[in-house]
Amino acid sequence: MSERLCSIQYKDRGLVVLAAHWRESASTAEFLETLGKRIATISDNGEIRGVVVTGLSQVRQQCRRADDATLYDVSALSGFGQQILFNLEKTGKPSIAAIDGECTGLGLEIALACDFMVASETARFGFPAIAEGLIPFCGGTQRLARLVGKSKAKEMIYSGDLIDSAEALRIKLVNRLYPEPELLPKTMELMAHICTRSPNAIRIGGEVVNAGFDIDLQTACMLERNAFALCFSSFDRHEGMQAFLDKRQPRFKGE
Amino acid sequence: MPYKKLRIEVANRVGYILLDAGSRFNKLSITTIRELKRALAQVEADREVGAVVLSGYPGESFAVGADIGQMLHFDPADAFHFAELGQSLFEQIESCHKPVIGALNGITMGGGCDLAMACDIRIAVDSLQIAHPGARLGIITGFCGTRKLPRIVGKNFAREMFMTSDPYNAVEALQMGLVDRVHQSADFWPMVTGFAERIASHPLKALSASKRLLNAAENCDLRSGCLLERETATHINSNLL
Repeated sequence: MSERLCSIQYKDRGLVVLAAHWRESASTAEFLETLGKRIATISDNGEIRGVVVTGLSQVRQQCRRADDATLYDVSALSGFGQQILFNLEKTGKPSIAAIDGECTGLGLEIALACDFMVASETARFGFPAIAEGLIPFCGGTQRLARLVGKSKAKEMIYSGDLIDSAEALRIKLVNRLYPEPELLPKTMELMAHICTRSPNAIRIGGEVVNAGFDIDLQTACMLERNAFALCFSSFDRHEGMQAFLDKRQPRFKGE
Repeated sequence: MPYKKLRIEVANRVGYILLDAGSRFNKLSITTIRELKRALAQVEADREVGAVVLSGYPGESFAVGADIGQMLHFDPADAFHFAELGQSLFEQIESCHKPVIGALNGITMGGGCDLAMACDIRIAVDSLQIAHPGARLGIITGFCGTRKLPRIVGKNFAREMFMTSDPYNAVEALQMGLVDRVHQSADFWPMVTGFAERIASHPLKALSASKRLLNAAENCDLRSGCLLERETATHINSNLL
């Protein structure tokens, strides 16, 4: 059954869709465990170039606590979820969350761990579970504050109100909006476009952006200098620069 | 020593460093970066100057990255030294005690985008094309862009720009917060000079104190920042009471 909570659909050109399929009977832990397995598969498969994440509006946080659950269990679940979303962040492949419908709670936490979000015009976003006394537990408070600023994050989390897609675009929670029927095709097209770029540069760039964001400027720039120099021992940069000079499309290998 | 890749003009307390590297695009070659460092030191030391404008006006580009033909032959050690040189220019811009305004008069790519981000304020022409195309070349930027772009436009837009490598226009740049103001090309230069002259008319010690504090705000915790502000403000605002 857990196999069906979250699936990988293989498309052409190395693209995959990572789709969440929520079932009322599933527990949050079961869902996270399945998600973790799918993320591991994506990390390990060199053929996969880019990931589009869908179905996040189906993801529900299960609020009912098992009678015998202890605080230790709740803490362990949070640690487990956080680790899985760290793993999503560092698959080394670009990821875009395509949002339609209401993306809330854990679904929004997953979207926040992707490289960026795109959404349909009817999408809405928020953390409404505050009404039942629940707060984000998979890195959502930290990623939201870093993305939209501290006060906007507090406004969303304290109120539990959902914001619409126009507001989400304005506060930079999502990067692009598409009409609902075009959401998935346009997102796949965007990801295919990104996958024509050097996978090596995208992986190293993503790592340096994530590592540099929370540290001081000098240390971040030192990291970047080293990573920049590392690119110059790759096949991709020779191919990329030669193709630029020859005015042709590069053929990257990701090495 | 004369400059080959730029010229300096001073008018109404504003020092203009105008890139003119000799071709359609102002490539940030090793020579250009060295000249920029020298020019900035000269303008900073000039007592007639209260604010600095960095631009490629009236040319077609603000600045683009390194010369790809030159960079093709870099080994990792050359690349490291090149990154070090570029980063030292941007540190110099940030620690310059006068405000530095980037006037983005056109194409702004790669290292040129990083040069723009080292400036305190960015004003763009409506025909702006701005990109970070490293991933098309199989590299990342080595000029502080991986740290600065996410802080300026947010992590997600930064990742999008790096990943697509595509050019973005003035409206998109303004929406992301990558530029602070956009003007139509007919008004662009008068608006830039007018804005720079207004800033340059303010007392320099207040400008440099606020620049120092605002830069520090990015790099230290709130309490230390406030302590720094209190010390600095006490000194600067001594005629307040």
